[in-house]
Amino acid sequence: MSEPNTNAANSKNALEAPRILIENFDAWYGDFHALQNIGAKIAANQVTALIGPSGCGKSTLLKWMNRMNDLVPSARSGGTMRIGDLDILAPTTDVVALRRVVGMVFQKPNPFPKSIYDNVAFGPRLHFKISQADMDELVEWSLRKAALWDEVKDRLRKPALSLSGGQQQRLCIARTIAIGPEVLLMDEPCSALDPASTAKIEDLIYELRANYTIVIVTHNMQQASRCSDTTLFFLQGKVVESGPTQELFTRPKLKQTEDYVTGKYG
Amino acid sequence: MTELPKALQEFKPNEASERTELQRRRDRWFRALCLAVGCSSIAILFLLLVSIAYQGSSSLNGTFLSASHDPENPARAGMYPSIVGSVILCTLCAIISLPIGVAAAVYLEEFQPKNRWLLRLHGLVQLNIANLAGVPSVVYGLLGLTLFVYMFQLFGKLEQNQVSGIDFWGIQRYYQFVTADDLAVIFVLMDESRESTLKIESVRPAFDTNFRPIELQVWDPATPQPTDPEVLGRTVRKGDVGALVEIYSWYYFRLPFGPSLLAAALTLSLVILPIIVIASQEALRAVPSSMREASAGMGATRWQTTQQVTLPAALPGVLTGAILAMGRAIGEAAPIFVVLGGNIAKRTGPEHLMDSCVTMPILIFAWADNPVEQYRQLAAAAIIVLVALLLVMNSMAIYLRGRS
Amino acid sequence: MNRGLPIPSALEQKRYRPTGSARRSERIVVALLMACALGTIALSVLIVLMLLRESWSFFSSPNVSLTQFLFGTRWTALEVRDLEKVEFGIWPLLSGTLRVTGIAMLIAWPMGLITAIYLSEFASNRVRKILKPSLEILAGIPTVVFGYFAVLLISPGLQWISPSFDTFNATSAGIAVGILCLPLVCSLAEDALSAVPTSLREAVYSLGGTRMNTALNVVLPSALSGVISAMLLAFSRALGETMVVALAAGTLATFTLDPRQQSQTMTGFIVEMLKSDLEYGTVQYYSLFGVALALFVITFVMTLLGQLIRRRYREVYQ
Repeated sequence: MSEPNTNAANSKNALEAPRILIENFDAWYGDFHALQNIGAKIAANQVTALIGPSGCGKSTLLKWMNRMNDLVPSARSGGTMRIGDLDILAPTTDVVALRRVVGMVFQKPNPFPKSIYDNVAFGPRLHFKISQADMDELVEWSLRKAALWDEVKDRLRKPALSLSGGQQQRLCIARTIAIGPEVLLMDEPCSALDPASTAKIEDLIYELRANYTIVIVTHNMQQASRCSDTTLFFLQGKVVESGPTQELFTRPKLKQTEDYVTGKYG
Repeated sequence: MTELPKALQEFKPNEASERTELQRRRDRWFRALCLAVGCSSIAILFLLLVSIAYQGSSSLNGTFLSASHDPENPARAGMYPSIVGSVILCTLCAIISLPIGVAAAVYLEEFQPKNRWLLRLHGLVQLNIANLAGVPSVVYGLLGLTLFVYMFQLFGKLEQNQVSGIDFWGIQRYYQFVTADDLAVIFVLMDESRESTLKIESVRPAFDTNFRPIELQVWDPATPQPTDPEVLGRTVRKGDVGALVEIYSWYYFRLPFGPSLLAAALTLSLVILPIIVIASQEALRAVPSSMREASAGMGATRWQTTQQVTLPAALPGVLTGAILAMGRAIGEAAPIFVVLGGNIAKRTGPEHLMDSCVTMPILIFAWADNPVEQYRQLAAAAIIVLVALLLVMNSMAIYLRGRS
Repeated sequence: MNRGLPIPSALEQKRYRPTGSARRSERIVVALLMACALGTIALSVLIVLMLLRESWSFFSSPNVSLTQFLFGTRWTALEVRDLEKVEFGIWPLLSGTLRVTGIAMLIAWPMGLITAIYLSEFASNRVRKILKPSLEILAGIPTVVFGYFAVLLISPGLQWISPSFDTFNATSAGIAVGILCLPLVCSLAEDALSAVPTSLREAVYSLGGTRMNTALNVVLPSALSGVISAMLLAFSRALGETMVVALAAGTLATFTLDPRQQSQTMTGFIVEMLKSDLEYGTVQYYSLFGVALALFVITFVMTLLGQLIRRRYREVYQ
């Protein structure tokens, strides 16, 4: 495993070969035009933050990236969204294969009411045919990656619901990386957590960047500035401004962006 | 950073997709199984309704709806008394159990105590109601039998076909006589003697067939017969023996109740009480607590809040539950069979609270149990009427639920 | 601009209603409501007292022994008139009840559960709109109709399949009771399944799981307590079902495992005894209270267990 490159060099390389490419993307819920003509390049091994006021469509974009919106009957989309060579939006696309590559962590921690071990092993059991020893190794590795191993190694058979909120969320991250995804989508992963747990998750996100491409939706400006490399600012279903996080937060081009990142905007 | 585990290193896209393919095949089969089983319940309902309609539709006509049971001739038999009986019984049931059920639900939902022991009692009541809903209805029937019909035999032993106990009000006893011209019947009021027959010797207070008071004439057959037809119409022969008849008003009341409408209504009320409580509790729980807080914030007491805000908001839900409970009451057969017995030979609906009563499910049971094929067809026809009535009640409930 | 508005007299005088009377009437109302709630406890107590008192008249008779009642395999309360020779052994009735209930549960449990899974995890709105009302109608149909259905259709059907079936048999009654319990299992199980939060389903999909994985590996285990409680409640309902077995299961108390034979159940016996000309007060008559006590105890334990499982193990989701 190589150490992460510096931000600038990394983002330069990455944008030449983006991990996820979005062009002319539109999304609707029934008649509501939730996203209009979105274009974006999500760089590999970077953290991309999607920010913007509530209802601006950033979560919708995230949910289209692994087709979670298939569960919403009224949701439709148009345009292009590709990951590598794979067309995400095509109806023929194997969503199961897609979701193996693009994992998701949700707003509220949602561990299954099973043991800690079974939570992590759930995904691998669906997709891999492996021995018990390999499974143990995989579970330990995932929990170590999610910085949870030391806290739970003595009680892997205890119910996951007995963990604290922050631990549950890290468990969910461990569960997601246990099937070896390349992209992690995070939908406000810290909004239900206290500041101490939030700090731990933010550190974790920063660490995971070395191995995964991460897209994070957040309402917390500090969080976006602390742990992301690139930021997209959404307003009323459009990407209004995008660029390296440092730049967008210190020298925004647009008045609306400045208002929002400094906290003047609703 | 630890090494990538073997499982992820050996990640072979082909093998994984083989497994995914297996999962997906299983998913398709499972979905097909679910659909088949789900639809089979529709098929069963369809089969049930069609077979009963096929069996019963030919007997369903005007006579059937207006006549009463005929033990000799199935072609002349009908279900009129049972329709009236079921409707009256169900109404009585609602009058008895609705207020109690809703009150209990209001107490359980809106007046939760803070005291630890009372709270424990509260939980006990809650569990108890859930358990009562699971008690077989035939056991309620037995409770009704001992508690209402025989009243633990506190009022003497109740034998079949023999009335004992205490009458309170609403009963008039008369002796019945045929007039001297053999054209009419007159009634003589019973006095203190309480004999079962009366040999008439002298003039007594008397009434005609419509219970209007008349001036009685007693004619000694040894003397010449009065000639005036008007006088003859209120004259009885001296020495005639009149038999005892009992005339009941609708409010006739006695203890114990015996196998009567009131006993059946009380028993059935007990059966549906837990259902009403549970349904009303759900309706009350669905009222957002912000409404209660708004009312309490303006200084309303808890009962004022309940009465003015919560109950009106929960009313459609409460009524829906009540109608569904009524549907249960109207179709319930076992407890009524235990309390009233299986006798269906009654020509009218119940006329007073202590009258016997035939209900639709009992009639259906008796006809379905009858070895004669024509009566079984009548049972199917009666089922059509009963199910139609239930469908009307259920669609009312669905309409109310849609509005809430 | 509005400063000049005069204060309404009602506010100026502040003649509030005294709060005392409201509080007093409140206390009376609460007492009344509480009486109604406690009345339900009184009802339970009455049921138990009634069963104990009336069955005491049965058990205290010199012709009845508790051992014979609990372990005897012959029940002749209706057939033998001579009190000296009547045998009161509950097992024929109990086995009849268990046969009918067992067959009913073979139908109601899997079908109800699968239908519930279908409704909560797979069904499109269109299918749901047809399926749910038909289940509600099925749940609202009086039990005596199912009894008639068993006699009219199921029993001849079984005899057509195999002539060894009696006209009245445990299987046809069991099938009818099963159909009757199906909506109960389905609606209670569906409640439990839909109470599982959507976030868990999303988690499975995001891990690349199919709908079947969601339903069987996550939703069903999470809702297991609710599902088991639904099954127990249906079991208890089937035990106490009366009219179907009175019409379709026959009047002969048999101690056998053969589902093709007549099998009088506990409830069926109660109905037959009430139909017979035996008078209130005889030992045979009181035997029905002994049977009712046994029935009550069994159903009570089942229902209580179902309710407790539902409460104790209801998963706590945030």
